[in-house]
Amino acid sequence: MRPGRGIPVKLLIQLSWRNIWRHRRRNAILLSAIAVAVTGVMLLNTMMRGMQQDLRNTAIGNLTGHVKILAPGYLDDPGIERGFEVLEGWQDMLPDHMAGWASRIWVPAVVMSERETRGVQLVGIDPVRESISFLGQAEVAGERLSGFEDPRILIGALLAEALDTAAGRRLVLVTQGADGRTREAGFRIAGIYRAEIAGLEKAFVFTGLAALQRLLGTDKITEVSIRLDDEDREASAIAALAETFDNQDVLSWRQLEPQAAAMVEVSDMTVYILFVIVMGALVFGLVNTLVTAVMERLRELGMLRAIGMRPRAVVAQVVVESTVIMAIGVAAGLVLAWCVFSFVADGIDLTAFDDSLASFGMRPTFVPVFDIRDVALIVMLSLALSVLASFYPARRAVKLKPLEALRR
Amino acid sequence: MADRVVECRDVSRTYDDDAVPVHALRDVDFDLAAGEWVSLAGPSGSGKSTLLHVIGGLDQPNAGSVVVDGVEVTALSAAQLSDLRLNKIGFVFQAYNLIPVLSAMENVEFILQLQGVDRAERRSRSRDALHSLGLADLENRRPGEMSGGQQQRVAIARAIVTEPVLLLADEPSANLDTSTTRELLEVLKYLNRERGVTILTATHDPMVMGYTTRQVNLRDGSVV
Repeated sequence: MRPGRGIPVKLLIQLSWRNIWRHRRRNAILLSAIAVAVTGVMLLNTMMRGMQQDLRNTAIGNLTGHVKILAPGYLDDPGIERGFEVLEGWQDMLPDHMAGWASRIWVPAVVMSERETRGVQLVGIDPVRESISFLGQAEVAGERLSGFEDPRILIGALLAEALDTAAGRRLVLVTQGADGRTREAGFRIAGIYRAEIAGLEKAFVFTGLAALQRLLGTDKITEVSIRLDDEDREASAIAALAETFDNQDVLSWRQLEPQAAAMVEVSDMTVYILFVIVMGALVFGLVNTLVTAVMERLRELGMLRAIGMRPRAVVAQVVVESTVIMAIGVAAGLVLAWCVFSFVADGIDLTAFDDSLASFGMRPTFVPVFDIRDVALIVMLSLALSVLASFYPARRAVKLKPLEALRR
Repeated sequence: MADRVVECRDVSRTYDDDAVPVHALRDVDFDLAAGEWVSLAGPSGSGKSTLLHVIGGLDQPNAGSVVVDGVEVTALSAAQLSDLRLNKIGFVFQAYNLIPVLSAMENVEFILQLQGVDRAERRSRSRDALHSLGLADLENRRPGEMSGGQQQRVAIARAIVTEPVLLLADEPSANLDTSTTRELLEVLKYLNRERGVTILTATHDPMVMGYTTRQVNLRDGSVV
């Protein structure tokens, strides 16, 4: 490739590389500034991406799934009266790219022990289907539910503590039946689960789906939760499900967990804004260095013009020099960021802030994510900024006539 | 190649930099035949460097015609002038003007790279040019590691490696001592006599004038 006709890129890069070494201290300072900025931005990105992933995984894993099918109006007024029946063989009509699905009944209830009473969410499940939710991986003290007919209950450790109860003991649950009348029954505690999110442990009580249907006097369900194996195909899955469940609402996790979805989007924007601010500030340093370098080499640039280098090639030389400086700084920054990241890649223990994190739907162990797309974004934006930064110095270099430059 | 490498007709150049117009060249007529070595002589401010720059396309006259190897220089754009200088004219400057970050070989090769000459030919021609000027041992030295005379010879190697129709040398001996100047002039003499390079030198050094085949005197911007 020969920019500005007559000067190969290889030669431009060679000249730029050697010119950088001409002013080692000045360029070392600039390169350090770029590298530190890129390291900082990239590490903040890994934090943001980790937070995003945590928020998304928590939102999807806490019984929501990627997509949920609900009766119209259930979100505003949840209860068994908003249940729906599913056609036999409906599972065959689900999209191919699914990690799994679970049908449930989810109703508000009151749980009572001998000593305490709490408001909870009572959820009827088929345990074998719950591998798609946090319950599939949750640690359980005692026994898990044996199947959808199991009439026992699973409660969270924090709820057990609040109710001052234990596995094997009985609790009384009160809820509203399908006929609108209050239903009350005693349930034996099969096991006590632990969840990474404290709120889940306090709020959810699980029992067998069929057992709960019997208590409520219905054969309906209130939701089908679906987990996809490819998040990028969420929109097509929703469209396919909407055709199958044309009388129900088919909602994405973003609609069901709007707060988490908004935080994911805000953190995305934060990443970009932060990068533009930090790198934008650095561009001024780069412009300053390039202008100084051009002014110092005006005579040399004039000579290059005099011996036959075209003006466009002079511009190309300044642009390439700017790009080479930026590329070295960015590469050093990314390597440094990777080194720091590798120390914390397994996760940062934030147990001390457990309660605060839980209110944001985050886990106490924070795992940063080094996203290759962020690397690509930083590289592309940095190179674009370096071209932008070289515009003014290049203009100055080319504006001067060769004879004027030679006379300096 | 045209018999006359340079033809200047009624060339005038006036500078208005300080409100008071300075007439650097006044209706200059000047011809340079192929194979000549002409020195433009005259005191400082006589216009010899200006005429050299106008012929080399580094400066534009206010009036008149300048033809180099059959090409009307005054009608060319900046890019066309660059191409003319690259392909037809070799420059030797008073201050050598080598690229400090490149070695002697790379400095000479540079201009061939601008011309798009392939690597093998580039190497061969650059080496020949350096060897013919007695610089075989200095190929890998950078300008800062060479004496003034050696740098000037590298500058000449760079100027002749493209085999230009015209070699322009502006005060080439100004920064050199007597013995180095003599060495330089012997090199230019060899290029002119043995290789037929047409040379135009602006100088006020009598030793340089003594070597040239013809001398053109300028005073107050006019040929006298």
